[in-house]
Amino acid sequence: MTYTRREILQTLRMTELEHFDIRTVTMGINLLDCGHDDPAEAGRRIYAKLTRLAAALPSTVTQVADDLGIRVANRRIAISPVALVHTRPEPSSYVAMAGQIDRAAGEMGFDFVGGYSALVHAGFTDADRALIASMPETLSSTERLCSSVNAGSSRTGLNMDAVRMVAAMLKETALRTKDRGSIGCAKFVVFANAVEDNPFMAGAFHGTALPEVVIHVGVSGPGVVCQAIRRAGPCDLRELENVIKQTAFKITRVGDLIGRLVADRLGVPFGIVDLSLAPTPELGDSVGEVLEAMGLERTGACGTTAALALLTDAMKKGGAMAASAVGGLSGAFIPVSEDAAMIAAAREGALTLEKMEAMTAVCSVGLDMVAVPGDTSEDVLSGFIADELAIGVINHKTTAVRVIPAHGMKAGQSVSFGGLLGEAPIMEIRNLSCSGFVRRGGQIPAPITSLRN
Amino acid sequence: MDRRALAIAVTDILLRHLPQSATEEAAAAVVADLIPLLESAGEQGQEPEDRRLVIITVMGKNHSGIVHAFSEVLAEYGVDIVDINQTLVHGNFAMMVIVDLAGARTDFQGLKAALKKRGEEVHVQVYCQYEDIMRAVNRI
Repeated sequence: MTYTRREILQTLRMTELEHFDIRTVTMGINLLDCGHDDPAEAGRRIYAKLTRLAAALPSTVTQVADDLGIRVANRRIAISPVALVHTRPEPSSYVAMAGQIDRAAGEMGFDFVGGYSALVHAGFTDADRALIASMPETLSSTERLCSSVNAGSSRTGLNMDAVRMVAAMLKETALRTKDRGSIGCAKFVVFANAVEDNPFMAGAFHGTALPEVVIHVGVSGPGVVCQAIRRAGPCDLRELENVIKQTAFKITRVGDLIGRLVADRLGVPFGIVDLSLAPTPELGDSVGEVLEAMGLERTGACGTTAALALLTDAMKKGGAMAASAVGGLSGAFIPVSEDAAMIAAAREGALTLEKMEAMTAVCSVGLDMVAVPGDTSEDVLSGFIADELAIGVINHKTTAVRVIPAHGMKAGQSVSFGGLLGEAPIMEIRNLSCSGFVRRGGQIPAPITSLRN
Repeated sequence: MDRRALAIAVTDILLRHLPQSATEEAAAAVVADLIPLLESAGEQGQEPEDRRLVIITVMGKNHSGIVHAFSEVLAEYGVDIVDINQTLVHGNFAMMVIVDLAGARTDFQGLKAALKKRGEEVHVQVYCQYEDIMRAVNRI
């Protein structure tokens, strides 16, 4: 059992020079047993459970990462959708719980906890309404809590009342966090076909069918893929796909290894590897750069959707063979503010929201980390979200919108969040009225393709 | 029990169950065939569990004494070298050493710290990784 020089040096190049990291190790925790009529007591139970189960995660991850010489960028927690944790269905109840979750996460050193969520794709419970109503306060008063709403699914159609509620909530959150670039909105995502085992923020939550506690891993690695494509030179597309597949395989194997080791040391089950290409604002760690390495002048050029389709599919093919269980969102993320090449393309006007919408039909999620002018109306935001979610509902894929209507900002300006959330150029949004459509309210019924049994 | 003695013991068992007509020559031939078989089985059997392979990669500007500097650290801690390979990559020194930590007088963290410190002294980069990562990336 030995390795060639080439194998050792190539592996080292991947881990040391090409920004390869495991993006996140996320612990999913069931909180459905923490409910209580008294929200303060529910909060205490949640705090106790989180600190009992997750305290050892950060140090365990650090040790495993150190043993293997791999960087693990983030350690996170995904919790049961908070709207399902029984308590008095009033907004203040959920704000109280949110405070306890935020406190627990802060004390243990986690940067984000996902799951302040409601699943309303076929209608609202009282708890769902109260939770959504509490979001502006929670998103503006907590640091670490990430929130989501699932407003549509291919089996149930699209809840347009939820979409409008989300649009109004975003406007209020943007206002409440206007001093920090409306950052509250960056911690919220609205989904169609949300997945229950997604380890990535802001959309992570611990699905109701999952075990009590579980470890998921989100891999990354646009830098590694980009360098592999550059090394491959002017090969044809079949060969290009092969290069991406092989790289995805290697990246995913590392994620699988880390997940198994962490789960093993903590004595909890290992869930899935999410093999998404997830960019960071750092140069050389960009999905846009991968697309440009494939031969586009700029992300947003004609050919972008085709290149992204090839990339996403090749990632899945290569990664699926490399892990015992692949899940989550798996594909490629295209968050504008978190990707240096996307930021540049949006600034130059090469990348527009309409082109991005087309790209989301073939990427793993959707319109992610896009900032629009602060005076965008609730109705236009509703239409914007509805368009994106309709793509997901009809095409049986996950789509999502994480949009920041940056308060007081105009197209062409830019808003900076710092850290992983990056810097978002404010993009032009079509302001033609869609009020007559979105204000009809109700549910867009399930598509004919939902009748599959 | 050495491998030859083990092979004879195995053959004894076989003989007890073989027809009486089996000759001593036949038994000797069986022993001769069994030895390589047991040897390879022994090697395979040794692999997992007690072995803790670590891959050390040293890279930097080439100058004299680098190999010595690191083999000294490994000897000091009683770390067994399984494989060693040294080359120049674009004029730079690169050395890859696979070691077994089982039986060493230090643990992974201790060895890594000592190697990193020595690396600073002789102005080279040192990377220390459990072998699992190489297997994950390079072997199916």
